[in-house]
Amino acid sequence: MKVKDGFILREVAGNFIVVAVGGAVKNFNAVITLNETGVLLWRALEKGATQDELVKVILDEYDIDETTAKADVLAFINKLQGASLLV
Amino acid sequence: MTNINHFDKIIIEFLFYSGEIGASTVSKGGKMVKYKIADIVFEALVSHSFTKKVCAAYEYNGDEPVEFSMVITKEDIDNERRRTRDFYEEYLEWLALLRKLCAYAVQNANALLFHSSAIMVDGNAYLFTAPSGTGKSTHAKLWRELLGDRAVMINDDKPIVREVDGEFFVYGTPWNGKHRLDSNIKAKLKAICILNRAAENSIRKASTKEMLLTILNQTIRPEQVGDMDKLLKLIEKMITSVELYSLGCNTQISAAKLSYETMSGEKL
Repeated sequence: MKVKDGFILREVAGNFIVVAVGGAVKNFNAVITLNETGVLLWRALEKGATQDELVKVILDEYDIDETTAKADVLAFINKLQGASLLV
Repeated sequence: MTNINHFDKIIIEFLFYSGEIGASTVSKGGKMVKYKIADIVFEALVSHSFTKKVCAAYEYNGDEPVEFSMVITKEDIDNERRRTRDFYEEYLEWLALLRKLCAYAVQNANALLFHSSAIMVDGNAYLFTAPSGTGKSTHAKLWRELLGDRAVMINDDKPIVREVDGEFFVYGTPWNGKHRLDSNIKAKLKAICILNRAAENSIRKASTKEMLLTILNQTIRPEQVGDMDKLLKLIEKMITSVELYSLGCNTQISAAKLSYETMSGEKL
């Protein structure tokens, strides 16, 4: 999985947001906010990552169990897919 | 179906005050007119008397050099028509002018259009922002009732906010909302307030996060990544250098008293 072209992550006054630029603007007007975990996952998805790799990203950073990490990753991916942000 | 974005929703409001639109004359070939808006001196090839009329207070005859020229092409008009559906052509020209000015403002002038009601009191500018229909103009009117001549409308709908040497100023523009309230003046920005309708009045500080999201939905977002970065840097400076509030308000005069006293720090 990978983030589609035209979506950029930026930090503004300590807040992390994703906005569309270029051709992506036509189909996406919203602004997404991400928390710290979301930023980690988004950055991995910018390079391209499998679901398992995303779970590992979370487990490496946070002291949580694998079941929770898997559920969080799945929820995050579902949200991004729901907004058609992934290829 | 045409995808109407946030900005187009904002400008569709204008449809409802189209009294002067319709019988406008088109001068053949148009005319180059010099304007000064938000201290940006530019010239525009204007074809419609409507555009010339509504922008008349911003025409400029001074000696400052022209920063840029714009020509509103048929393509620009068609672009506006696609975005806003079926408007009169003279009206579309006016919108195209706004869009071009705002693109220039973000790219070159540290300035952005901010869909809000801007009031000046004792030399300070206060901005009220909210989605269309929430009551920005109504709240601004309450300020005028409360403060009388001390409250001067800078612009009731689309002022421009510009950073000059680290300070933010609010400027009047001809895109002034359905009540046609604007002055060709500028004032230092003191506070920005997000309006929400509520039965009881209450005010609190707003976070940079909620203000950032509000502003991004109440301005024209550029498409190019470099321009977007300029806009985001500008908003970052703006929301970290002025006071931010969120007001829940009804339409009683006490709502204006609460917001004025809190935002200005002055007791009435």
